[in-house]
This record gives sequence, structure tokens and C-alpha cells, in this order.
Amino acid sequence: MNGIIDFANTIFKPIIDLGAAPIMLIVLTLLAWALGVKFTKALEGGIKLAIALTGISAIINILTTAYQAPLDAFVKSTGISLSITDVGWAPLATITWGSPYTLFFLLIMVILNLVMLSLKWTNTLDVDVFDIWHISFTALMAMYFGANLLVATVLILIIGALKIINSDLMKPTFNDLLDAPDDNPMTTTHLNYMMNPIIMLFDKIFDKVFPWLDKYDFDSAELNKRIGFWGSHFAIGCYLGVFIGLVARQDPKEILTLAFTGGVCLQLFSQIGSWFIEAVEPLSQGVTDLANKHLHGRKLNIGLDWPFIAGRAEIWAAANVLAPIMLLEALVLPGNHILPLGGIIAMGVTPALLVVTRGKIIRMIVIGAIEMPIFLWAGTLSAPFVTNVAKTVGAFPSGLKAGTQIAESTKEGPIEQYLAYLVGKASTGEITFMLYALLALVAYVLLFWWYSKQMKKRNAEYAAAKAAKEA
Amino acid sequence: MIKMLTACGAGVNSSHQIKDAVETEMKNRGYDVSVNAQMIKDVNPDMMKGVQIFLPINHPDLGFDISIPEIDAGAILYRMPAMAKPVYDKIEEEIKKIQ
Repeated sequence: MNGIIDFANTIFKPIIDLGAAPIMLIVLTLLAWALGVKFTKALEGGIKLAIALTGISAIINILTTAYQAPLDAFVKSTGISLSITDVGWAPLATITWGSPYTLFFLLIMVILNLVMLSLKWTNTLDVDVFDIWHISFTALMAMYFGANLLVATVLILIIGALKIINSDLMKPTFNDLLDAPDDNPMTTTHLNYMMNPIIMLFDKIFDKVFPWLDKYDFDSAELNKRIGFWGSHFAIGCYLGVFIGLVARQDPKEILTLAFTGGVCLQLFSQIGSWFIEAVEPLSQGVTDLANKHLHGRKLNIGLDWPFIAGRAEIWAAANVLAPIMLLEALVLPGNHILPLGGIIAMGVTPALLVVTRGKIIRMIVIGAIEMPIFLWAGTLSAPFVTNVAKTVGAFPSGLKAGTQIAESTKEGPIEQYLAYLVGKASTGEITFMLYALLALVAYVLLFWWYSKQMKKRNAEYAAAKAAKEA
Repeated sequence: MIKMLTACGAGVNSSHQIKDAVETEMKNRGYDVSVNAQMIKDVNPDMMKGVQIFLPINHPDLGFDISIPEIDAGAILYRMPAMAKPVYDKIEEEIKKIQ
């Protein structure tokens, strides 16, 4: 036995010692090749992931190095403790895809989807392989806080199953929002829509207390047109740089440096994001082909990444209006330590608001403002974990002073992050946390059950309206 | 060279899948094309200048009218050749009209 382990060590230790980027290069290349992709194409994908990891690391370095001192000065001059750098979604996605565990969780989710399909528990085939990183992020976070691989896997099986059921529940609403025919198979299992139950709760309160607010709904496309380039990455980086510089009482030269550094980093994060999506592409095609082979032509809905509804202007109008609101909330919210920067255009927040309210823009903004603290606290809670993963995959600069942390202010699935934290802590054997984790999981499932009943009512109304139209 | 524009939420995932798929398929069919992938909220009349075919995922509400042909490219995202083919055929048809 020892001989085998020694033998495995002599082969694998040098590879593991190479670091995350080379490991993922080798693993992704071989996996895609095994799934039937041409070797050069597979290798291209592997190399792209490696350079994306390296690139993200370089940009995190530029951003945190430039902002750490002014953020410290910001804390000193205001007394507001917002020291976590908000890097937005692209670095989080990249470093999560840099962890080999992500491939394991992908396998688990593919099996779960196929089992649910064969049991007829769902009608959705999820082909959005890229967004598995959200599930992997949740599991890795639970493991960071103390869960073992088995517990983390059970947690994501629960979340994953509800996520897939949710994609069926939302399907008629998507057809309504897109004005799509019934044979349109587009739906999504994206994690951001797991906020729907909580938003539904607020929406019902809205129905009872403030229904008159709906008549102030405005033309979202018109608002977006007026905002123009001020909502783009580089512009946001620039004026938040100016804001931080001013509050931190830097001199004009330093303020401008901060502004342009913010602009270039936010712009480059999304640029680099597209490299590693190409890296995952062969894998996505392989998984889809494999799943289709086993489904024998059964007609299914197809789970995509969320933006097939990004053409609805309300998503962006709400995000634009919520940005300054989020900034204000971040400044005064007790227990929040993250200053919105890379995540300030809250596209992890507004799609779920659109689905539940069906485009009532005032509701989207009001409920968005109310639920924003949930995201900010989750961002704060996840910062030590995100920083740790970044270090593990070698995407965190070594020269920074201890205590420097990164996170995302509007990461999708904040509730799932609290669950990951509680389940992780519970795994260390502390009785209070075991109780909290259990209660939280029960509440999570019950709230989803209530939400699914509301959605079924809504879907019955859609079906009745359609029947009436045809009659 | 036929210039096209596609767009999605972050301008990173879905739009890049469409860009790669359309560029590859049109090259195979013998056409010289270039597809620009963007974040949909950044799409404005200036960006549309010089673009000959617009390839959104479902019809978007951009706040301005589009005067060029618009082809819904969403079906490419299903990753099934049979479902993507009608999209490619429509694109080829428009390219032929332009040429």
C-alpha cells in the first residue's frame, strides 16, 4: 500500500508543486481531449485558462496595490471600516475555475441533472457548464469554514436540485418576458434566481401595502440611453477612484492615478473573463453531447446562462439606479466591510427582481435596495475565503500587507453563502452552529416550497389565459 | 469582410459562444466575417455604425431603432447542431443579400 502511495507521490507531487495554472492546463486539456475534442483545440483551451489565471493575478495585484493605502486612509478619515477590495465577478469565477475541485462538483451536478431527468423530476437539461463555478464556490466556502468534501457535496446537491426545479418553475415567466412561443426551450439554472423566494416575499408585501407605487413605473430603455457610457466598466472605475481618492484626502495626482487604475482594472477583468470561457468551451460541448446521447431525443427545456433575458431594459435600469443606493448603504451598514467597486453594477441581483416582479421597475428598485444588505454582508463574510482561494491558486500578489482582502459586493447566491458558512462551522462539531445550520436549511427549503406554490399558481394563470385565448 | 455584432449580459459568456460559433461556421461556408461581442447595456447607435448584421439573443429593448437586419442567434447556445443550423442559414442568406 505504502509503495503505491509513494509511487503516486513521485508522479503527482512534482505536477501539484507546479501550481494551479499548470495543473488546470493539464487536466482541462486531457479532459476535453477525452471528450472527443481535437488535441490542439483542447490544448488551446488549457493554455487560455492558464493565461487567464495569470492575467487575473496581475490585475488583482495592480488594483489592490494601488487601492490599499488610500482605502486605509479612507478608513482613517471617515471612521468607516471598508477595507475589502471589491473585484467584481470575473476574478472570483477565474480563481474558482482554477481549483481542480470545480471539475468534481461539475461531475456531481451533471449526474444530479441526469438523475432528475430520468426520474421526471425536471424537464430541464442544464448546458451552462461555465456557471458551475457558483456551485463550486459555495461548496469550497463550506469547506473553508470546516466542512469535509462529503458534507459540502450534500449541501450543493440540495441547492443544485432546488436550482434545477426553479428553472422549470420560471419557464412560463421567461416566455412571458420574452414574448416567446411555447416551443422556445430557453430557461436557466443560474444561482442568482435562488433569491426569488425572498424577493417573492417582499413582492407580496408590496402587493398589500404599496400597490399604488406601480403607477410611477418609467421607461427603462430611455433611462439607460441617458446614462450612456457612465455605466460602463471603465467609467465606473474612474469615478469611484475619484470618490475614494477625495474621501481619503489624496493629492490630485494620486486621485487621478486611482481613477485610471480603477478604470483599467475593471475593463481588463471582463476582458480576461472571456479568455477562460473559451477554455471551458470544449468541456461544455462535450458534456452537452454526452447528455444528449443518453436522452434519446426527449424534448426538453435547456438551461443557459442568465443573459438570454439581458435584452430587457429593466435589468440595466434597476442596476443603474441601485448603484449609488448600494454605495450609500455600504457606507452606513453596520458589519459591512466591502466598498462597492467591481460589483457595483448589480447584474447578479437584478435578473431575479425582473423575474419575480415581471418588469415592474419601481418594485425592482425598492426591493433591490431592501435586499442589498444581504449581498454586502455575504461579500464581507466570504472575503477571507475568497482571499484564501486566490492565494491557493496563486492568483494573489505576495507583496501585499497582511489583512488585505478581496471579495465581490454583489456575488450571486448570498443566502447560499450563509448556508455554506453555517454548514462549515457546524461540521467542526459546535452544537450551536449545528442547530443554526439545521434551522437555516429547514427555513431555506420551506421558503422555497412556499415560493414554488406561488409560482405554480402563476403558471396556472398563464395556462388559463392561453386556453382562453385559443378558445 | 461582413461585420456583425452580438451582445449578452456581461459581454463575456453567451455572446462569446455566439461569436466563436458564427465565425467558425461562416468560415466553413466560405465567408469572411467578424463578430464583435459586447455587453448589451453598452450597445449604442455609435457602436452600431458599420455593423451589417445584429445577432442578439431574443429581441432586446435598446431604446433606439435598428436599421440593419436582426437575426436572433439564441438557438446557437443550445449547443445542438440541428437547432443552430436555421440561425446560420439565415445569416448566410443576409450575407448573400449584402454581397
